[in-house]
Amino acid sequence: MAVLTAPAQREQAPPARRGPAARRRTAGYLFILPIVVFFAFFVGYPLVRSLYLSLTQWSGYGRPKFVGLLNFSQLLGDPVFWQALRTTLIFTASTMILQTALPMLLAVFLHRGWKGSVVFRTLLFVPAVISLVVTGVLWQLMYDSKFGALNGVLRAFGLGGLAHDWLADPVTVIPALILVSVWQTLGLYLVIFLAGLQGIDPTLYEAARIDGAGGRQQFFHITVPMLRRVTSVVLVLNMMNGLKTFDLIFVMTGGGPNHGSEVLGTYLYGLAFGSGAGATPALGYATAISMVVLVLCMVGTVVQLRLSKRG
Amino acid sequence: MTADTSLAPRLAVSAPRRLLRPGRVLGYLFLIALTAAMVFPLLWLVLTSLRPADDVFGAGLLPREISFDAYVRAWTQLDYPGHFLNSLGITLLTVLGVVALAALGGYSFAKLEFPFKEPIYVVLLVTLMLPATAIVVPLFLELRSLELLNTRQGLILVYIGTSLPFAMFLMRAFFETLPDELIQAARVDGCGEFAIFWRIMLPLARPGIATVVIFQFMHTWNEFLFAQTLLQTPSRHPLQPVLYSLVGEYSTDWTILAASLVMTIVPIVVVYVRMQRQFVAGLTLGAVKD
Repeated sequence: MAVLTAPAQREQAPPARRGPAARRRTAGYLFILPIVVFFAFFVGYPLVRSLYLSLTQWSGYGRPKFVGLLNFSQLLGDPVFWQALRTTLIFTASTMILQTALPMLLAVFLHRGWKGSVVFRTLLFVPAVISLVVTGVLWQLMYDSKFGALNGVLRAFGLGGLAHDWLADPVTVIPALILVSVWQTLGLYLVIFLAGLQGIDPTLYEAARIDGAGGRQQFFHITVPMLRRVTSVVLVLNMMNGLKTFDLIFVMTGGGPNHGSEVLGTYLYGLAFGSGAGATPALGYATAISMVVLVLCMVGTVVQLRLSKRG
Repeated sequence: MTADTSLAPRLAVSAPRRLLRPGRVLGYLFLIALTAAMVFPLLWLVLTSLRPADDVFGAGLLPREISFDAYVRAWTQLDYPGHFLNSLGITLLTVLGVVALAALGGYSFAKLEFPFKEPIYVVLLVTLMLPATAIVVPLFLELRSLELLNTRQGLILVYIGTSLPFAMFLMRAFFETLPDELIQAARVDGCGEFAIFWRIMLPLARPGIATVVIFQFMHTWNEFLFAQTLLQTPSRHPLQPVLYSLVGEYSTDWTILAASLVMTIVPIVVVYVRMQRQFVAGLTLGAVKD
């Protein structure tokens, strides 16, 4: 390609001198054209169509029936929707806190440059490269009531009384899922915080030490404020991942038991593509829920941007 | 005053005796315990996969005897190689498409001037935080009407389309670090715009491309929602939906399940250990989208 076009353009160059800027403009548009076309087809149009579909009733065949805001008013009276919304928010808030605080503390720890810290970092990061599906299946095995490793470990420590089917109990299912999420993301956020710590001027700590500041004071008065930007990035990422969480919960529990771990993503997916046997797909209703997820993500982003700008 | 007295001994012991400090020993113990807990599920998985099928319910962490039977059965009964190749093919074509188009577009946004550049860029970027569940229904319908539903080509197109904005964002950032003088010099020499991009700028952006390749590879290899929804024929499935479907189908045969998981984890961990630096760069940058 390049070999063919380059000489041709070179020959054209001298006579076309009158408009090099125009030619550059054309090149600019040509270069972004594929992205724009792909984007329009696979992001832009689907998004607009989602918006329209959320205002219809439709099972996927025939014509969608326009019903205005009926789906949204129906949502208000749908107890499963409220449960899924609550679970989504609980999951998001918990993972935001845990998946920010734990990696930050661990990063401060590892940043001291102890021997072998690279080995620890490498090992801790491994779960982050494993897909959420594999993670989900693996932990489903771990949590299994009969021979899952978790119950095995509890029995080995004489705590066999605590052993039970973690994912089938509505009380333990959400904490169990949160634990898996923490396991999966710890290494990733650790690495992000380590990168942030490397950007802090070490003379700040020296000065603080000379002034007699202890480890805790240094942490709260230097590390935390200096990491503010990184922390807000990690918080945003955690919030997004929490609000749109799907894979892990879909794989591990499918939203069960009895909607006990249902989040908005799994609920809308089940409505659209049928988790219950013989259920008619409710595409309009499902897209209405997806619009709620979208709005939550947008509101979350705006709030976060506001907060981090003020800081 | 008190600060002085407490500081003096600390500075005095500095380097040689550091290892003996109790805080340090406790710290190491904590780190080792935490890392062990993190690695334990993976270790346990490997041990489970090596059990003979009748030893699954056997007590004890270590299998009575080591058997590769589960791997053999996963390989043959599940057509593991076929699904692995599906994953590989889909991922490689997606990476190729994304890198080529994102590099071209990223360069254009970084180095060329044209009207409405910034608004177009902003529109492309606004959707970075878009949840996949928000567009999966219309994507399903769109592929169905294009008769691309249930084809690997359709899935690849969706992957490229949804990944391009972020990859383009990364590529723009890399191209912006390259000097403009090279472009101006090439233009004076009468070099065409595409030739400048292809022959001069693209080779210089190699580190950026490597990061995008690794990130995109990971992301596509691990993607589940679209693969599960847009491909219905089981034989065309890449690994992620296959592993998901195994849970129901083979939940009685845990060794086969464990063996398939191990075979899925090992390649990506090997790649990660070998290319750690780029992996971490890709993921820390890539995390913005994921």
